[in-house]
Amino acid sequence: MRIVVCLTQILDPEMPPSEFRLDPQRKAAAEGIGQLVVSIFDENALEVALQVREHILERKGAPSDPVEIVALTVGPPSAADVLRKALSLRADRAILISSEGWPPLEGAIVARLLAAAVRRLHPVDLVLCGRETGDWHGGQVGSFLAEELGWASVSFVSRIEVEGETFLMRRQSDEGWEIVRARRPAVATITNDETNVPRLPKVRDTMLAARASLPVWTIPELVEDPHTLWETSARVAVRELFIPSSSKVCELIEGETVQEKAVRLLEALRRRRML
Amino acid sequence: MRTVMVLLPTSRIERTEREAIGAARALSREWSANVQVALIAPTAEGIEGLRGRTEASSDVSLWIAAHPQLEAYSPELYVSASEQLITRARPEVIVFPSRTIALEIAPRLAYRIGAALATDVIELRAEGEAVVITKPVYGGKAHAVLVAQRFPLVLCVRPRAFDPFEGELRAGTPHDLQIACDPSSVRTQLVQRIQEDAAAGVSLEEARVIVSGGRGLGGPEGFRLLEELARWLGGAVGASRAACDAGWVPASWQIGQTGKKVAPDLYIAVGISGASQHIVGISGAKCIVAINTDPKAPIFKVADLGIVGDYRAVIPALIAELKRTHAGSSGDRPGSSPEEGR
Repeated sequence: MRIVVCLTQILDPEMPPSEFRLDPQRKAAAEGIGQLVVSIFDENALEVALQVREHILERKGAPSDPVEIVALTVGPPSAADVLRKALSLRADRAILISSEGWPPLEGAIVARLLAAAVRRLHPVDLVLCGRETGDWHGGQVGSFLAEELGWASVSFVSRIEVEGETFLMRRQSDEGWEIVRARRPAVATITNDETNVPRLPKVRDTMLAARASLPVWTIPELVEDPHTLWETSARVAVRELFIPSSSKVCELIEGETVQEKAVRLLEALRRRRML
Repeated sequence: MRTVMVLLPTSRIERTEREAIGAARALSREWSANVQVALIAPTAEGIEGLRGRTEASSDVSLWIAAHPQLEAYSPELYVSASEQLITRARPEVIVFPSRTIALEIAPRLAYRIGAALATDVIELRAEGEAVVITKPVYGGKAHAVLVAQRFPLVLCVRPRAFDPFEGELRAGTPHDLQIACDPSSVRTQLVQRIQEDAAAGVSLEEARVIVSGGRGLGGPEGFRLLEELARWLGGAVGASRAACDAGWVPASWQIGQTGKKVAPDLYIAVGISGASQHIVGISGAKCIVAINTDPKAPIFKVADLGIVGDYRAVIPALIAELKRTHAGSSGDRPGSSPEEGR
């Protein structure tokens, strides 16, 4: 069984807001203001893939159908870092789809490129993507990819079990959870929960991953007439980015004792008609 | 005449659905478009929530695309039903509410009909022929302004960002739209549904008061205190991503960019440091109270009121004070009792 995990490199979402700056020319976050990391839900997606592989190994002992995890990313050469992270967590292979020298990518183009790569990796049984990227929160690439491939697709999944020729996926709903059976091959977009918190790599694996050579696939290798990708796409233009202003001043409730603070907080809330 | 269509994959219209209609109406007024609301449901009968708060007859026409095959949610059938509706009505803009089902259908529909897609939309306006969209990016640290000039355009609006449409929804003619469902297209099947009750019985989206806990609680036990406070305030309990990832509370309690987006009158953040991805989920709250031991925690930058202190002392003091003032007045507990609440 082959599992493809799609990873994106983003600006660390945990960076302090006070250090956040914009680059008006690029209409994006300024370069160099923070670390570049694997996008939040993509990390969970990789964790789910690793767990699927472990469950299959546990169940079968020596499996006749070994599980291979392939990490993919579309981006500039620097995006190779997310692939090395995947290798350090023991993904079997990692491939960079290089966008160097091409215009900026949008979701539909990324999905077309990933779909082409998945076809090239045939046979693939399962493709995992984060439910949205941690920078633009588009929430589209996984679903676009499923449409492009014409595969079964389930969104907001946190756990996957293999059952015969199907996958049992635990999907988050507005009310709780659902278990959904999906036929192979399938695409799932992954959300976080307590079962898929990303593990940490071992030092030795990180060192090995740093030395691994990464195959690079170019866009013309994957798609005929790549320029048409941009012609048929780009229906929404980014006009500008701005940092929303916050003018709030917090009124700190003081008091000699905690009881006094409690009384004063409730008084302040009543004054504001909150109680 | 242009058309803005609100697609609601549900048999029950709640506030979140009415906000999507509100967003569509606000845009349509500036853009001289008509608004059509289309429900996708197993049957046209027994749709809940059609009656509005106001009697005013509305400019909103309602279509119901019903098919018995839509009883159990299946993305394939719902995407196909949406596509059939779009093909018939040819709207320029399609608006979805931010329900998980809608967030699954919207991108697949957009790709299928070759439409642009914008999710998590917080502002919407017309500018000549174009539609201008604002959405938070970088976990709410910035906002992006997008311009759509080619249509169709698919939008998912963020909960609590738009005023809900309060009027009555009346079915148009024909009452039902015939749609075809092809069961052979179905590749996924619902096996089991697990309902997780919201803490203290009030849903986070509808709650007027939310008491929310984070990593600073130190463990699941702390949430018992928050639940007690929430009961006294007639509110719900939420959590930060850190508390959910730790397994202290169910993921359905999660508030933030990666969880629910809420807009209560009062939001009490307990032991929550205030990562921007959490803040973006509470930006609609009218009043934010922060309770944290660390005076430098970023949560105090967005809070209206704050107490620097250990929640283990502060929350019981708040509960005691609420008890005392209520014993003095009516003697009854406010809100729902714990028994009713569950």
